[in-house]
Amino acid sequence: MNLQYDTEQIILRDTAESFLRQHYGYDTYRRIVASDEGWSAELWREFAQLGWLGLPFAMEDGGIGGGAVEAAVLMEAFGRFLVIEPYLPTVLLAGGLIAALGSTAEREALLTPLSEGRTRLAFAFADRDTSTTARSGSRGFLLSGAKSFVIGAPMADTLLVSARVATGSGDHRIGVFIVPKNMPGVAARPFRTVDGRRAADIELTSVALPASALLGGNENAGAIIDRVTDNAIAAVSADAVGAIAAMVSATVDYAKTRVQFGQPLAKFQALQHRMVRMRVNEEEARASALFATLSLEGPPERRARAISGAKAKIGRCARFVHQNAIQLHGAIGTTNELSLGAYAKRLLAYEALFGSTREHLRRYGSLISKPEIAAEGLLVATG
Amino acid sequence: MDFDLSPQERAFRDEVQAFLTETVPPTMRRAQDLTTGFIVEPDISIHFHRALARKGWSVPNWPAEYGGPGWTPVQRYIFEIECGRAGAAPYNGAGTQFVGPVIMRFGTQQQKDTYLPRIRSGEDHWAQGYSEPGSGSDLASLKTKAESDGDHYIVNGQKIWTTMAHRSNRIFALVRTSNEGKRQEGITFLLIDLDLPGITIRPIIGNGGDHEFNEVFFDNARVPKVGRVGEENKGWEVAKYLLEFERGGTVMAGRVRAQFAKLAHLIAARCPGDSDVTARLAEIGTDLDAMEMIDLSVLSAHQAGGNPGPISSLLKLRWSELRQAVTELAVEAAGEDALRWVTERPLYETLQLPPDEEEALALMPRYLNGRAFTIMGGTTEIQTNILAKSLLNL
Repeated sequence: MNLQYDTEQIILRDTAESFLRQHYGYDTYRRIVASDEGWSAELWREFAQLGWLGLPFAMEDGGIGGGAVEAAVLMEAFGRFLVIEPYLPTVLLAGGLIAALGSTAEREALLTPLSEGRTRLAFAFADRDTSTTARSGSRGFLLSGAKSFVIGAPMADTLLVSARVATGSGDHRIGVFIVPKNMPGVAARPFRTVDGRRAADIELTSVALPASALLGGNENAGAIIDRVTDNAIAAVSADAVGAIAAMVSATVDYAKTRVQFGQPLAKFQALQHRMVRMRVNEEEARASALFATLSLEGPPERRARAISGAKAKIGRCARFVHQNAIQLHGAIGTTNELSLGAYAKRLLAYEALFGSTREHLRRYGSLISKPEIAAEGLLVATG
Repeated sequence: MDFDLSPQERAFRDEVQAFLTETVPPTMRRAQDLTTGFIVEPDISIHFHRALARKGWSVPNWPAEYGGPGWTPVQRYIFEIECGRAGAAPYNGAGTQFVGPVIMRFGTQQQKDTYLPRIRSGEDHWAQGYSEPGSGSDLASLKTKAESDGDHYIVNGQKIWTTMAHRSNRIFALVRTSNEGKRQEGITFLLIDLDLPGITIRPIIGNGGDHEFNEVFFDNARVPKVGRVGEENKGWEVAKYLLEFERGGTVMAGRVRAQFAKLAHLIAARCPGDSDVTARLAEIGTDLDAMEMIDLSVLSAHQAGGNPGPISSLLKLRWSELRQAVTELAVEAAGEDALRWVTERPLYETLQLPPDEEEALALMPRYLNGRAFTIMGGTTEIQTNILAKSLLNL
């Protein structure tokens, strides 16, 4: 058992933090969020040069060969510095799907430009109303349906779209389709999210795709989609931990300098105790995120427990921290003069994305209410 | 980074499991399941302690030079977790975990030779004499007085909340040897035989109906000075060293995990399909997973030779709350059945009912006694004060 970062992970963390401290202040964040594009092409190129865009991909696919821990280290730094670029949708979700599903040729064709920062992708998975379906015909597929809340879609060139593959036999399986965004029949309705990201609802009307559009030729990709989504939940949980940590330390720093009744707020015991609770929530959130990250390669039930447990637990910690951080800042905490509100919004988005706190608590509960699973400790269950 | 145990650690875990299967009889598991206080009666746990002693495992946290097994932190953790899961009842943590390490660090050779073997074997059972009626959280205000008289101290005063004093033959106590200077600088750490003339023990019965706490009165008790640990008036340093073990040194995960599994069983049996109760079980489960993960991170830092930092107060704070949450939800899940009350203790000696009915009778006493988790060993409020300084530099 070893839960210490290795040297390379420490270097990655320190590099990310020092780069972002220098290049990604609250002013930068606000400028990017206010821009039409909603992301910085210039910073994206820097991310590519730093190796971040190829971080999770295998060396032979032109990547760095990092794992879930490296992704978490980088995402925690992104959360801490409010990075708004579409790293999660492009690299972790779409890139993760291509790495897991794609043929050698597809991986080469798609992951190399992605790692080099030349293309951006987004993954459209949530169906709106009815199931998106791909009807197979003689020349390929006809894709129809509607996807909602596709994060990163507005800045993406290519969409990956999950759809039920109708083969005529009534046997419905799920495949992932490569859909250039400018294809006829693709209509995107872009919108902003509370935390400044860009997303879109996507309408697909008889989009005619060649047979090669089915990623990896795989009509049975459901399990892999779940797995890649779980990877994304672990990563976005690390992002939330970074945001939580930033809010806790901003609050403690503020309490040390803000003077009322002739002394700093930090001297009042009631406030000290509240800040300790915030810090304890941060520690528990970090531990939950780490459990999730380290369980991604484990057996499916263990992975589900760790992922849903982390989402539920960190969602609760995030709520407690963002509310108390605002409260302890007083009136200024309710404004956009400070970065505090941006962190609160980021954490609110975390709570609702990829299944809400409540949904994950329910999923976790359905597992943990079995006494034999409840009895399983973290260490003992392994190996 | 990984959770994986090395092949040696796995082999060790298998050895521990095999040993526990052999040495933890169903009677002990039942005693553990039906114990409503904090500690299983020593007349049950002594048998397990002796079996451990024969194997060389009775003082798992001690280094080899003092007769411990010389385990790595990971081995110790595995051992504690497996003991908790198996329902093994630990014997006298005040001896093995508190005063033992203190004697090793601060004791004279004579004290080491006298006391350590008897803790290992289980011949001695220790009680902790810290709190006094007027000195709870404000421990340094303690007044029990020790006056020098040749090679003895004459001790007068009173200790309280002395867990299991009525089952103990020795007590380690903080006494006041000076009223000069800072309060902390007049305190001395003494090892005292409880059968000395002038010492009386009075029981205190908890809300849960159990006798675990006591008052210990000292009325001109003549305590030999050879029982002093460290220098006169330097006992505060010794006391603080011990508190670190009391707050962070106990591995809670195994036992709490076992109780959590019992709670899951209770809920499955009594409120199947109740989504509200299941949601609360799930919240406790996520807390428990997080705390275990923090435990493991501390362990890993320790194993790597690093300093885990001011984490022991955080562990005490949250584990105590978690243990309470488990007892609280169990009482709610049992509904009216949790109100049935049996006065005899220990329950395992008087009851002869089906397991589910028996265990239901333990829930309310356990909840009531468990309110002390966030009070003893430094209250939640004191731990929070400590964390404000150590974790946030406030």
